[in-house]
Amino acid sequence: MKLKKIEVFTKDELEAVHSASMTLLSDVGIKVDAKDARDILKEEGAEPDETTNFVRFPESLVKEKLKTVPNSFTLHGPDGSFNFEVNTTTTQFATIGTPVKIYDPSSKKGVRKSFLSDTIEQIKIIDSLENIMCSHIDVWPNDISYTTIHSQCIYQWVKNTKKPYGMGCLGRLASQDMMNMASIIVGGDEELIANPRFVGFMNPTSPLHLPQIMTNGFAIFTKYKQPTIIAPEALAGASAPVTLAGLLTQTNAEIVGSAVVSQIFNPGAPVFFGTVSHVTDMRSGNSAMGSAEMGLITAGIAQLARFYNIPSRGPGAGTDSKLLDLQNGYERLQTLMLAAQAGVNYITCAGTYEATLVEALELLVIDDDLAGMVKRAIEGITVNEDTIALEVIKKVATSEKKGVNFLAESHTRKHMRSELYMPRLADRSRRSTWQKKGAKDIIERARESVDKILEEHQPNELEKNMEAVLLKYMKKVEKRTFDDYRKAEGLMVDSITLPDGIEIKEKE
Amino acid sequence: MSIKEKIKEFVIEWDSEGLKDYCQSILESNESTASNLLKIIGDVMKYVGDQFENEDIFLPELIGSAETVKTVIDEVLDPAIRATGEEKETMGKVVIGTVESDVHSIGKDLVGSFLFSNGYEVYNLGVEVTADQFISKAEEVGADVIGLSSLITMSMDFQKQVIEELKNRGLREKYKVIVGGSPTSEDWAEQIGADGWADDAIEAVELIKSIIKEGVKHA
Repeated sequence: MKLKKIEVFTKDELEAVHSASMTLLSDVGIKVDAKDARDILKEEGAEPDETTNFVRFPESLVKEKLKTVPNSFTLHGPDGSFNFEVNTTTTQFATIGTPVKIYDPSSKKGVRKSFLSDTIEQIKIIDSLENIMCSHIDVWPNDISYTTIHSQCIYQWVKNTKKPYGMGCLGRLASQDMMNMASIIVGGDEELIANPRFVGFMNPTSPLHLPQIMTNGFAIFTKYKQPTIIAPEALAGASAPVTLAGLLTQTNAEIVGSAVVSQIFNPGAPVFFGTVSHVTDMRSGNSAMGSAEMGLITAGIAQLARFYNIPSRGPGAGTDSKLLDLQNGYERLQTLMLAAQAGVNYITCAGTYEATLVEALELLVIDDDLAGMVKRAIEGITVNEDTIALEVIKKVATSEKKGVNFLAESHTRKHMRSELYMPRLADRSRRSTWQKKGAKDIIERARESVDKILEEHQPNELEKNMEAVLLKYMKKVEKRTFDDYRKAEGLMVDSITLPDGIEIKEKE
Repeated sequence: MSIKEKIKEFVIEWDSEGLKDYCQSILESNESTASNLLKIIGDVMKYVGDQFENEDIFLPELIGSAETVKTVIDEVLDPAIRATGEEKETMGKVVIGTVESDVHSIGKDLVGSFLFSNGYEVYNLGVEVTADQFISKAEEVGADVIGLSSLITMSMDFQKQVIEELKNRGLREKYKVIVGGSPTSEDWAEQIGADGWADDAIEAVELIKSIIKEGVKHA
């Protein structure tokens, strides 16, 4: 089998991008807003400038710190029964995006604001899918307070899925809540650290900036060794150079710099070498996520991730379409297939459209099918004596039966399931059969599938005592005000104040 | 294990030799009769058909099971039933084949397998079948339906010729004639005076069920 990965750089070009990124890190550095983080980085040999808040990273420090970044890790669901490995050679599919609306054909605009009930349904759907391995807080629950979203979602996660979960590094307070709640669920910090449950997202702001709240949360996620996606969302021509090589140089510095920060926070903390970068539409100034260039950028990041031997994360199923139309279909498959062919190890954004601002549960089940197709495509062709099937060809072709076929051959039966991917939703029937079944389009069929999953989904049985402790914890979170949040993240005052009963644990 | 469970095992494993030996031993020990075994096999094929419809198994599994069963019926059960002088129960008799100048067989073989799995007696004449061959076989076995397959536009006209030949011989009313195959259509069927058209094997079974109910005799 010889299935080549799409590579966008020659070896020399890769070195050139790497070297330019190192120059950026050592000459300019990354702007780190959080003072306490700058202090920790300084202790380990980074060079902060307290007037500009830029922290410079000498190349020797970068080299040394990258040594402890793991090249694989395993993610677990709440009870640990479901788990999967993320590494530098395989491809996994997941959600992630920022949908604040959800597809609703009954609403005038075709979409409406998303609610906690939608967030819960998304978790349930993913629990039932074959190829989408992890859900994340991506369907935004607009009907609950911002300061309780993480605790509400964790509760729904433990109740409704066997799969791992993902959450933004939404500050130190929320992140510490996440760890505390997860610890209650899995039976202690030790288990949580040894067998991580959460994927964190930490998005550097391009160009070269680590905002305070994200950094605060990042410190907690790395402390608990929950694999965290470092993913700049640079836009070529707006927040990065318009040239893709320039964008990749800049974002590479952002990712590598953040990876160094993670290892200073806690050596051995797993991270994803990630991207959501794409381009600016030069007519409107909007971002263009369904663009061919996004695929190239993602491929570039995948190649750089292999260069540093860190698992990569990139977007697939990205589209700018506002409808569940052809543009939606071709852009999502184009970006998905390119990411897979480029060897991205964790491909995200299933279920979203309109540059991930809108969710459709229908797309989620369609994406599960697409992921199955794409997985099959990147498996390539297995060649051995059995698959070459010389004897079977001879036997069937020379059969005395008038009219021959391979359908009822044992060889077909033996290999058909592994050799052929059977899509669940794609229609391959003849027109009359399709008509008889109601002449439904893919969205209608997907809706039926969603309804069936939701109807049949069984919630997890929670241990009573554990549930009570979780609910009590959630009550505590509910009582907080926005000022509590601002104080905890150091947004209001010089010193950090945490609400009663919340303690940030020191590095172990 | 019941006879049905045992037969099911052979059918699912495509073990026609095993099934043949087993049926023979049952008949020899008078544990059951050939018509009863045929009925049990019918039930097993219905189970396999349901599994296929529910998408629990794929097409090759259905056809492989049908072929396994067919060998045993042809070689063991049919002769045994004939020997007792009993009438064999069937949903209907269907003669199928691909028309002259066309060697495509898979489509009509699928139709044959599906019909067989649904309890029909199927006479599959193969490919490049002439009008005379279709009609002679239908006359010989007392068929209810003649099924004409054509996969290429060039051979479509031969479907019409079979119908014309039936008319010439004064036999048109005796048989229901159905047509199928990629280039054919409902309009085409109407144009050449066929009694029905189906788009795929599953539809073909439905079609035959409906037209035999509508009013063909016997078996």
